[in-house]
Amino acid sequence: MRIPDEERALAEAARKGDQAAFAGLVRLHQRRAYLVARAIVTVHEDAEDAVQEGFVRAWQAIERFDPSQGFGAWVNRIVANAALDITRRRKVRSTEELNDALQSPFRDPAQDAELKSRLNDALAQLPERARSVIVLHDIEGFTHVEIGEMLGIPGGTARSDLHHARQKLRTLLQDLRG
Amino acid sequence: MADELKFPTNGVRRDADSLDESLSALIRDAYAPPGGEAYWPGLEQRIMARVASESQVENGWWSVLAPWGRPALIAAAAIFAIAGVINQQLVDTDNQLAYESAFQSSTPDVVSTSEEIMSLERGTDGATLSYFLSH
Repeated sequence: MRIPDEERALAEAARKGDQAAFAGLVRLHQRRAYLVARAIVTVHEDAEDAVQEGFVRAWQAIERFDPSQGFGAWVNRIVANAALDITRRRKVRSTEELNDALQSPFRDPAQDAELKSRLNDALAQLPERARSVIVLHDIEGFTHVEIGEMLGIPGGTARSDLHHARQKLRTLLQDLRG
Repeated sequence: MADELKFPTNGVRRDADSLDESLSALIRDAYAPPGGEAYWPGLEQRIMARVASESQVENGWWSVLAPWGRPALIAAAAIFAIAGVINQQLVDTDNQLAYESAFQSSTPDVVSTSEEIMSLERGTDGATLSYFLSH
């Protein structure tokens, strides 16, 4: 994997304790890290907690990071673990919370209201891991292997989860798709 | 679904089984953070505030104790070694006491017999006995 020179330089400086360099790494990777966390915890506040916790853990472990590897993949795994910790602590997540999370005021008001409502319901009906896999793969573009590493499951399981999640989502939204 | 919805795809590899682009875009939009682009500088600041806070904690009480780490380890090792020696000595003493206790409880007859012989040797009968024994 080709690591951009800027990222490699920032990572090497951060390993020596340079907080400004670490801030540069945060700037580069926080968006993807947030989306990884959001795919797992679904709620914005939890996603932000996971991202903060993940980057703090990364800072604490920065001496063990190999700058020849991608910082993004490394920190995404840490953030995913932090997000999974949150889901373990809050195992029971009600449908109402998910719907609240999805009914963001920043959505395009022109979008089909019925579709939004059905999408909320459909996503809420997916198993937690399946929802994470479908978002990480179809929305964020991670590979099965990358998703497996983040969620602590084999890549083949991620592929299988994705297939079933897509099928279920299509079934749930079938009448809207016609 | 509306094809006019266009969102960045993050290099998503699409295949025949992938979700419709419009549905993907809708999910992406639903999972976007509040505040749009203005959200990210604030998140970076909050992360770095926590990192700085963690660093202060690391450089606080631990940095005071850190120089004592090696001497403390050496002292702990020495204490451990001394404790081991003392423990071994206590075990040896216990064994010795146990041995002596067992030896003493099994020898009174022998001691009394030898004492009787000695007393016999010391008396007149003993002299007679010694005479007969030597001739």
